[in-house]
Amino acid sequence: MSKSLKKLVEESREKNQPEVDMSDRGISNMLDVNGLFTLSHITQLVLSHNKLTTVPPNIAELKNLEVLNFFNNQIEELPTQISSLQKLKHLNLGNFVSAGGSVVKITVLGLNCGARAWCQLTVYSWVAGLWDVWNGSGRDGPGARSSTATLRALYLSDNDFEILPPDIGKLTKLQILSLRDNDLISLPKEIGELTQLKELHIQGNRLTVLPPELGKLADG
Amino acid sequence: MAFPGRVHPSVIPENEEVPQMALNGVHQTNGNEDERAVSKLQRRQSDVKVYKEFCDFYAKFNMANALANATCERCRGGFAPAEKIVNSNGELYHEQCFVCAQCFQQFPEGLFYEFEGRKYCEHDFQMLFAPCCHQCGEFIIGRVIKAMNNSWHPECFRCDLCQEVLADIGFVKNAGRHLCRPCHNREKARGLGKYICQKCHAIIDEQQPLIFKNDPYHPDHFNCANCGKELTADARELKGELYCLPCHDKMGVPICGACRRPIEGRVVNAMGKQWHVEHFVCAKCEKPFLGHRHYERKGLAYCETHYNQLFGDVCFHCNRVIEGDVVSALNKAWCVNCFACSTCNTKLTLKDKFVEIDLKPVCKHCYEKMPEEFKRRLAKREREAKDKDKQKKKKPVCL
Repeated sequence: MSKSLKKLVEESREKNQPEVDMSDRGISNMLDVNGLFTLSHITQLVLSHNKLTTVPPNIAELKNLEVLNFFNNQIEELPTQISSLQKLKHLNLGNFVSAGGSVVKITVLGLNCGARAWCQLTVYSWVAGLWDVWNGSGRDGPGARSSTATLRALYLSDNDFEILPPDIGKLTKLQILSLRDNDLISLPKEIGELTQLKELHIQGNRLTVLPPELGKLADG
Repeated sequence: MAFPGRVHPSVIPENEEVPQMALNGVHQTNGNEDERAVSKLQRRQSDVKVYKEFCDFYAKFNMANALANATCERCRGGFAPAEKIVNSNGELYHEQCFVCAQCFQQFPEGLFYEFEGRKYCEHDFQMLFAPCCHQCGEFIIGRVIKAMNNSWHPECFRCDLCQEVLADIGFVKNAGRHLCRPCHNREKARGLGKYICQKCHAIIDEQQPLIFKNDPYHPDHFNCANCGKELTADARELKGELYCLPCHDKMGVPICGACRRPIEGRVVNAMGKQWHVEHFVCAKCEKPFLGHRHYERKGLAYCETHYNQLFGDVCFHCNRVIEGDVVSALNKAWCVNCFACSTCNTKLTLKDKFVEIDLKPVCKHCYEKMPEEFKRRLAKREREAKDKDKQKKKKPVCL
């Protein structure tokens, strides 16, 4: 028998367990999980395969989070408070189109990447306004420093992207870029600046040509 | 021994007339009675006179005879009656035979020098036999000072330091120099701080004497036992012999791989080379290993930290160098504890069933929860990839 959510929370607090696994629990609102946001010590929170449509701003209280997994939910929006999680390194926002068929667009507003050291960003969905995620310039103006220069892996598979913004070149530490199953017509030449790139997934697009700059990455 | 001889040769005048000798006795052939009265004494005197004149006659006659039979000392030829004859100490020469043995010219002012039976004019004699002054390089005529294995004019032989003429005051040898006594004593006092070469006993002026068997020497007294080259202060002693530095280094003294100098002292043997202890360092941080473990890669040595930093597998999840067992899958590496499903973070091992999506592990449970459309698309991609591989293997590549 799997434990109740309440039990899980208690256990984590008492035994000081840093990793909380609440996947596939039918959770539609994080606030329904009593005491979840008191677990300020946890480093990993897995909420995959649930029914979340939104994330409450209380998320900021879990300030030790390094891994946050929202895979296979229906999240349309992320609160700006996400950006306050200084230690967050892995964020999985992989969400699928709802069964209803309408396109769920996630508009990620004002997500300030700040001083965080991003490791992985996974988005399995049709996401518009995603550029703000790593630009850090959407809401904060040109002075904002984007720290996604540390981002090592970016998974944008199964989306609708037709173009990739040239800002992709700013992710100088990027080692893995997955663009599988998008609608890309072309790749920006800035992709040649990703000198650390080890994996590039571009299958399932509408590419007819590849930028010659890709040749620069051949030795990677 | 040669001896200068100054000879004025007497030349017999050409037109000397031999005085006619009238022999008194001869002309008076008929003696008359009246003259018999001459005394016996008178008669003897006149006999004597006659004898003397007779002798003179013969002397002159012999002279002329002798001359007629005379031969030149040099060419052994005879003399013509009126020819000039040179007379030198009883030796007779033709004028043209009485010449310098070197230049075959007549002796200027008749001055000649003789040595080993040969006569030389002054110039050639000096050229051949006279000593040269060591100081000024000119011939020494007259008083010769012999000192320091050389010859000198008295004026030229001076103290090396104060230039005092040494001829009459004496000198002392000092470090290969000829010094007057006062200078020598001064030098001796000054040189007390320096080494004295045990071979030539002169002061070693150079910075570093060559120490051989605990004694100081001038290095240039010795030659390399291997190549014979004259040694310098760099020379090294090895097993009682002296060698120039290059020969010494070649003879199996270990050379440090870092600084290329011979290792005198503790030797570190690593990576097929030898090193000074302080020169065997990490290629990245340059700290000496000092006996700690080093890790080799591509001919370079690294400390543990930097070896892992540069070459160690980095975990895909925690981004740290994997210490301990490595889980290798999907072209990536994980720490054993980090290897987990990418969609639900459940820990995985390589024995568990998982699928690959975008080269990330996805556990079977998560995969099954994914929308059918998605799974179909993934399967399609899988098939496409496999077909492409098969095609690659079948068709030869056209270059």
